[in-house]
Amino acid sequence: MLLAPSTVIVGAVLIAPLGMLLAISLLQRNPNGGVIWGSFSLDAYTGFLFERGFSGERELNWDYVSIFARSVGLAGIATITSFVIALPTALWMAFQPPQRRLLLVFLVTLPFWTNLLVRNYAWILLLRADGLIEQLLHALGLLDGRMGIIYTPTATAIGLTYSFLPFMLLPIYLSLEKLDRRLIEAAFDLGASRWRTLARIILPLCMPGILGGVILVFIPGLGAFISPELLGGGKTMMVGNLIQAQFGYGRNWPFGAALAFVLLVLVLAATYLHRIRFRPAS
Amino acid sequence: MALSETAFLSCRDLRKTFGATVRALDGVSVDIAPGEFFTLLGPSGCGKTTLLRTIAGFERQDSGTILLGGQPLDGLPPYRRPVNTVFQSYAVFPHMTVAQNVAFGLEMQRLPRPEIHARVEAMLALVRLAGLGARKPNQLSGGQQQRVALARALANTPKVLLLDEPLSALDLKLRNEMRLELKRLQAETGITFIFVTHDQHEALTMSDRVAVMRDGRILQIGTPAEIYERPAFRFVADFIGEANLLDATRIAPNRFRLAGGAELDTAEDGPETATLAIRPERATISPDGTIPGTVEQIVYDGADTTYHVALAGGATLRVRETNRAGLAIRAQLGAAIRVTIDPAAIRVLAE
Repeated sequence: MLLAPSTVIVGAVLIAPLGMLLAISLLQRNPNGGVIWGSFSLDAYTGFLFERGFSGERELNWDYVSIFARSVGLAGIATITSFVIALPTALWMAFQPPQRRLLLVFLVTLPFWTNLLVRNYAWILLLRADGLIEQLLHALGLLDGRMGIIYTPTATAIGLTYSFLPFMLLPIYLSLEKLDRRLIEAAFDLGASRWRTLARIILPLCMPGILGGVILVFIPGLGAFISPELLGGGKTMMVGNLIQAQFGYGRNWPFGAALAFVLLVLVLAATYLHRIRFRPAS
Repeated sequence: MALSETAFLSCRDLRKTFGATVRALDGVSVDIAPGEFFTLLGPSGCGKTTLLRTIAGFERQDSGTILLGGQPLDGLPPYRRPVNTVFQSYAVFPHMTVAQNVAFGLEMQRLPRPEIHARVEAMLALVRLAGLGARKPNQLSGGQQQRVALARALANTPKVLLLDEPLSALDLKLRNEMRLELKRLQAETGITFIFVTHDQHEALTMSDRVAVMRDGRILQIGTPAEIYERPAFRFVADFIGEANLLDATRIAPNRFRLAGGAELDTAEDGPETATLAIRPERATISPDGTIPGTVEQIVYDGADTTYHVALAGGATLRVRETNRAGLAIRAQLGAAIRVTIDPAAIRVLAE
């Protein structure tokens, strides 16, 4: 009985929209936008892998699969770079005095006060030709000519890393902060250097935080559409852009819904495999 | 106190201040002999744990030096010091099995696999955990985790083993068991133990020597019997065991008068105004006693009974009688009695 309210909320905000999405993906598209209610079609799903040739026969089409693969690649790169940045930062933060730790956590969450779109525009100013970073490198004599980063997949990766870094940093920081300091002292006491203490004690014990960070960066990174659009110049399309396009100028709601569903199933499958792999010891 | 040249572990004039005001160590000097079971005893905040952590290398002293076998340890990080610690909270690595915990220090020394394996087995047998090597710490009881922490710290054959209140988290029965266990381990390994506790009973029963600490200083060092029988300070007499502390004035050599007028002969002499420290079990109710009083409370404790005797000057003297004769009571509540005290049992303190 006490679970009733939460059941209603989960049903209303999670299950119902997903149900609508599934229903839309199984309808026929209305060429003028929206769908034809009451129709049924698997076109949206077959369209993911096949396209119709001139004579109506089916031909394999790898375009969408390659967009998925590129998304996985870019999200993966963003996950790895944000981990490489987040781990030392979180370590440093966790060993500050408690008062300063609070301030640092506040600073990490500060970017959330500004819209993500605006912050990605700011990166254009930094990365563009004759932008701030280029000017700085010129002034330091480290570069002449152009960096040529803006509107490339590299810029997209930078934007993704920037956007999702706090989601990597905070879970790692929280697990480090909870870590019993006596365990680190015990490792030192038993002859472990700093590096070996990190590898043998700190990292294994912070694995839940690290995995949490990886999931929180990788999965939203897969569906991101702002950074690839603005910093990648719309040239490196990711799944997020593709889905957005179907609901926007593509006017193919069923295909957009089907893409979203394929992405959801892939993510759930990956999470499930991960749970089998890292099943907590009973 | 003379600092011996042959001391094994020697702390000289250690000072350590936390923040601006807290003097955790205020000039601590102590010499510990090889193979000794040495206890640092004191109330919380007396600096005993800070001293231990400074020896381990977790804290750095502001001044003073620590010598181990004549070599200074100052400035060495914990992982370069030939000492190991057993932590109060065990600090057993939760993600490793028992065997992996014990092997950790040996792996850090990069010993060959077969040697590590043999040593882990020997250590587990030593602490009576043979066969439990594959268990995870959360499958063990508190006492067993404590043994893992001991095996892990002893595996590296440290020159000194530091124990930070290792028994305080255990229940009474386990604590008594582990006390004997620690004594046995120390005898079998011959390693110098430095044991930190706030429990005077632990200190008395286990140690070769005890250092009583207060406010960052060592007040007195001695064998348990010396500390108990011949406390040098009022604080020591009061903190270790139970003591009657009576204010007295010297009226003649080796003779003191209590506030209420009763006079006592003492084996040792003292200053004009002194505190007489008397253990309750060294006082006896006796018809020919010199100290008159009234029984105001009787506390029966099985093996013995403590009589709280109100003296004429307002002070209370506790007298503990062993219950040799079963139900026989030495005095009734409210009875006027007399107490006698062996002059040799009275410690005359200047404080």
